[in-house]
Amino acid sequence: MTSSAVDPVQLEQARQRVFLALFIALAVALNAVEYLLPSPLPWFRFGLANILTVTALYLYGPRAAWTLVLSRILIGSLLLGTLFSPGFLLSLSGGLLATLLMTSALQCLGSRIGPVGVSVLGALGHAAGQLLIAWLLIVQHPSIWLMLPFFLLFSLISGMINGLAADMLLEFLLKHEAFARHRTSRQCCSATHQTSGSDVT
Amino acid sequence: MFNRPLIPILLILLVALLVWLRQPGGESMVSRTALVMGTLVEIKAYGEDRDRLEGAIDAAFAEMVRLEQLFSSHLAESEISRLSAATGPFAVSRETADLLALGIRMVRLSAGAFDLGLGRLKDLWDISGENPQIPGEQALRRALQGTGPDALLLEGQQVRKQAPDLQIDLGGIAKGFIVDRAAELLLRAGVSSAAVNAGGDIRLLGDRQGQDWRIGIHHPRESGAILATLNLRNRAVVTSGDYERFFVRDGVRYHHLFDPQTGRPARGCQSVTVVAADAASADALATAAFVLGPHRGLDLLEQLPDVEGLLVTADGRRLATAGIESVLEWH
Amino acid sequence: MALGGLLQRLTRFDRYLIIILSLLVGISFLLPFGRQAGARLIVEAENRTVFSAPLDTARQLAVEGPLGMTRMEIKDGAVRVLSSPCPQKICIGMGEARRAGELLACVPNRIVARIEGDAEGATYDLLSR
Repeated sequence: MTSSAVDPVQLEQARQRVFLALFIALAVALNAVEYLLPSPLPWFRFGLANILTVTALYLYGPRAAWTLVLSRILIGSLLLGTLFSPGFLLSLSGGLLATLLMTSALQCLGSRIGPVGVSVLGALGHAAGQLLIAWLLIVQHPSIWLMLPFFLLFSLISGMINGLAADMLLEFLLKHEAFARHRTSRQCCSATHQTSGSDVT
Repeated sequence: MFNRPLIPILLILLVALLVWLRQPGGESMVSRTALVMGTLVEIKAYGEDRDRLEGAIDAAFAEMVRLEQLFSSHLAESEISRLSAATGPFAVSRETADLLALGIRMVRLSAGAFDLGLGRLKDLWDISGENPQIPGEQALRRALQGTGPDALLLEGQQVRKQAPDLQIDLGGIAKGFIVDRAAELLLRAGVSSAAVNAGGDIRLLGDRQGQDWRIGIHHPRESGAILATLNLRNRAVVTSGDYERFFVRDGVRYHHLFDPQTGRPARGCQSVTVVAADAASADALATAAFVLGPHRGLDLLEQLPDVEGLLVTADGRRLATAGIESVLEWH
Repeated sequence: MALGGLLQRLTRFDRYLIIILSLLVGISFLLPFGRQAGARLIVEAENRTVFSAPLDTARQLAVEGPLGMTRMEIKDGAVRVLSSPCPQKICIGMGEARRAGELLACVPNRIVARIEGDAEGATYDLLSR
């Protein structure tokens, strides 16, 4: 088999890798910016990087989402100097549970669930995963669960906003030639679920 | 990498697990209470090795019980009871000699406001007993005979009472001394962060997880309220108050802190708290300052190096030594 | 309308999911997660634990010591000694204990009651009385 620059499969693979690398870089940057912003409470972070996770999940599938999340956490903590600290464990456990929920929701529900639903599940999973590990490893005190309702409410709202942002980003990206293939291969963008939303009953 | 996300996940988990396993398990706290010396003793210790903490606390409690057998004037067979009964020179154990030497030093330091020979006086009042009573002047004077700074002579481990019928009572110092010994035992067992609290006679070892211990001082009149907090490490804190043991007759409070001059409860203060390097000195000085009254008491604490204190006067005013202000918060 | 446009971006399943999750979050505010923390009464007689209960449930209890029964009461998040066979009744005079680390003791009857748990509310670690 002769490799050629015009082989559409290889071209698409290379394109995916490049875009995923860009996504990772952006996610790390968003993570770092968010870390530097003042926050009323240490754990109440908006999770802007999840916009990119949801987008990657819809564009390139679960594996790409996993790669994005894990790379973001690893590189992000390297950058902020928190690697293997308790904060890293929190972030890792939150990320794992969030990604697990998001990918399995998409795989189980397919086009019935949109980016907003996925993002909300991810945000709640992130909150629950962090709190669980915090309770198991760090605080080990039941009073930590006092924070749970506030934590969940905050992530529900941030999850919705991030989901809407991801949907807009998807809509915008899919207009571009570079993502043209995904317009037909995946039914996910806002243009399609306006119709698919109505025929799911 | 891209198509095999499972491998990086497993790698990261493995590394995280290894790092976590290598981290020390964190400090744990062991807290135990027991009734020793007729009071509630609580020992708290912080450290990484729980078994070591438990063992050290067990040993400290055992030592406290052993020393109580030596020093208690309520136990007929204790060394102090036998010393009280003795008419001639009497040989005591090393520990008792140490305690008596410190006690005699405190008697001199306080010019007799603290006294080791108030056994008969305390029996007469019977404040903690079933039938407390207010003795007459004659009885008081008789009970005070032979007390004072020169009542005991200590040479090595030989003790001689100047008056043969002097009854020794180590009430104002033995508890602190025993607390100190327990703390020293903990220290020798490798515990560097601990607190021994025997009904308010507190000895601190080190700090509490990198921070000062916060010592609440009981309010002398409002039950359950806090007068002040002290932020301390490596110190001893003892409070003497007229609210600990007392009876009220005809509206007058008769408490257990007697003035050796008069044989009656001292009236100048409601409570005195002393901070010193060791609990035995703090215990004796708190009693002495209480007896001396607010002004002479505070002067005594001010003039001693490494000793600070605070007190509440009989009319409720709050006073403190100059050196304590940085660690003191009034409430 | 901008809000309508945003709603268009949600599938029907998304909307149901958000409604259900909002309800769950609302319910989580009503559940007593970790709220009893810091409020347990431990009673020891002759240095052995004989009783333990949360402080938020009102109740009375009696503990046997060498002199007889000491009766205690838990009420409004605090514990106090109601009656005791000891001669001085100092334990009754000690009032109530409600914060972690606080202690009530009847020394003659060899009974200790202490509050265990969360020390957040307390302003001190040890009490010099």
